[in-house]
Amino acid sequence: MGLRHYPSMLGVTLLAVLSLPAVLTSEAGSTAGPDIARGQALAGGECAGCHGADGNSEIPTFPKLAGQHVVYLLKELNDYNQAHRASDIMQPMAASLSEQDKLDIAHFYARQKPAPGTVAKPELLALGKQVYLEGNSKNGVPSCDGCHDEDGAGSGKFPRVAGQHPEYLLEELQRYASGKRSHGTRVMRTVAERLTPEEAEAVSQYMASLE
Amino acid sequence: MKQATMTCRPLLISLLLLAAGPGLAGSADPGSQPVREDELTVLLSMPGDPQRGQESYRLCRGCHKADGSGKAEAEYPQLAGQHARVLLKQMADVRAGRRDSPKMNPFIEHGEVSSQELADIAAFLENLPVPSAIGLGDGRQLELGKHLYLRDCASCHGPNGEGDGQRFYPRVAGQHYPYLYRETLESRDRGRRNANPEMVRVLKHYVDSDIAAVSDYMARLRPAKP
Ligand code: HEC
Ligand code: HEC
Ligand code: HEC
Ligand code: HEC
Repeated sequence: MGLRHYPSMLGVTLLAVLSLPAVLTSEAGSTAGPDIARGQALAGGECAGCHGADGNSEIPTFPKLAGQHVVYLLKELNDYNQAHRASDIMQPMAASLSEQDKLDIAHFYARQKPAPGTVAKPELLALGKQVYLEGNSKNGVPSCDGCHDEDGAGSGKFPRVAGQHPEYLLEELQRYASGKRSHGTRVMRTVAERLTPEEAEAVSQYMASLE
Repeated sequence: MKQATMTCRPLLISLLLLAAGPGLAGSADPGSQPVREDELTVLLSMPGDPQRGQESYRLCRGCHKADGSGKAEAEYPQLAGQHARVLLKQMADVRAGRRDSPKMNPFIEHGEVSSQELADIAAFLENLPVPSAIGLGDGRQLELGKHLYLRDCASCHGPNGEGDGQRFYPRVAGQHYPYLYRETLESRDRGRRNANPEMVRVLKHYVDSDIAAVSDYMARLRPAKP
């Protein structure tokens, strides 16, 4: 009953694996399937203090993780682990996790229900909406809905941004623009470099308003 | 898509030629412009999957829009219904630095999208219906536009603007006027480095208002459904 019996399936799987970005294939290590209960226990012990018991952090500079995509969560945890994403707080946290821990925790958070965000500056929402849905073609800013979806839900390696803390979002946009968050793909750095500071602040408010 | 797989054999030969030495390759293109055998060879030999392409196309939607219609004012071209081979050649040209696109470049670089993803995206776009809402010109020079188009352009781009995927001639019917105008102007003035040399020769005698007239005419063309 080996894989030998399914040569065509194997072919398809191989093709699928080959066409995935390197980020994903490096995940395919020695881990078993995800264990959500174990993920919940681990997260409850190590992460809940900052990210909230169900991943809905209450502190504006600590990102919400509830409803975030597994692919994205794993990529970020690995990036912290390999010091590709700089953070004095998160690097040691990520370094302490095994591959199986990360998988279990990511699947736990992905299943939690995201709480609605808090808009601090509603007067910026109109500009924010325009940037999010139209971009700014003068500076070559693509609209954000292209990758993060109209409702901010994202998918796979494109993170969910809906209902996230606006303070965190703005900080990340500034870090992309200044090259401090330089790991991974170049697309978000390019997007953030092309945004004006006013647009970045406004679009962060708008993303927080999405559900 | 079908076209792409049918070309496998000549491609194999050109790959062999390529392996034999750079001097031998490059003259196999039936069109008047030599096409370098590099990523394009690979792209054309890959069967594209429109379904996967729809997902990969996410990266492009922020400018070219979910329905491929682009954005007239922004000079983001309309891509829906364009020949897959044309799309692939343009993508390969941009990735290899033969066509400049500073706005798009960071989104289509090798680190961001794989060759297979591009083949999938092209297959997806080729099958999309050409949107009807298109940026048009002022409509005042259409007679002149028609005259110029049929005399100088139709031989390659087709009497109804349908283009010819086999020969990498873009479909121009239903493309946004501002984009057509800019690309024709840039081709004349040698700003578009991968422009077809024969086309550039024709365009040498065009003044800007001729280009506006022929672009407006092209944008309004609608080829009969194949
Ligand atoms: C002391 C507070 C703290 C603790 C404990 C903590 N985090 Fe974080 N976490 C942060 C901060 C702050 C950031 C944002 C850092 C940055 O800008 O890169 C973050 C970012 C993240 C991100 C990236 C989110 C995104 O949207 O990009 C993930 C994933 C993450 N943490 C997972 C975890 C996990 C899993 C644990 C437990 C093992 C954990 N964190 C424990 C504070 C904490
Ligand atoms: C071409 C696709 C694309 C477009 C368009 C795009 N993004 Fe992103 N975005 C990404 C990817 C991919 C990531 C994750 C990158 C990484 O790993 O750092 C990301 C990450 C982010 C993050 C960090 C989220 C977190 O939890 O840390 C923010 C904030 C963000 N994007 C905002 C925006 C805004 C605002 C726009 C529009 C102005 C936009 N994005 C347009 C692809 C895109
Ligand atoms: C930031 C906006 C932007 C993004 C994102 C973008 N493009 Fe483009 N694209 C353009 C612009 C502008 C042009 C016109 C070329 C130029 O820059 O002069 C173009 C031209 C093209 C062309 C040539 C069309 C023709 O008729 O010659 C193709 C094909 C293309 N893009 C495909 C893609 C694909 C595939 C993606 C995603 C992987 C993508 N584009 C992402 C802005 C963008
Ligand atoms: C000898 C054949 C030929 C003739 C004649 C010709 N073209 Fe072209 N044209 C091409 C080819 C080939 C391309 C694509 C070039 C490339 O590969 O980048 C092109 C590209 C274009 C484009 C850009 C389309 C896009 O999607 O990016 C425009 C606009 C255009 N031609 C307009 C014209 C006009 C107007 C005329 C007549 C005045 C004309 N062409 C005559 C072969 C021709």
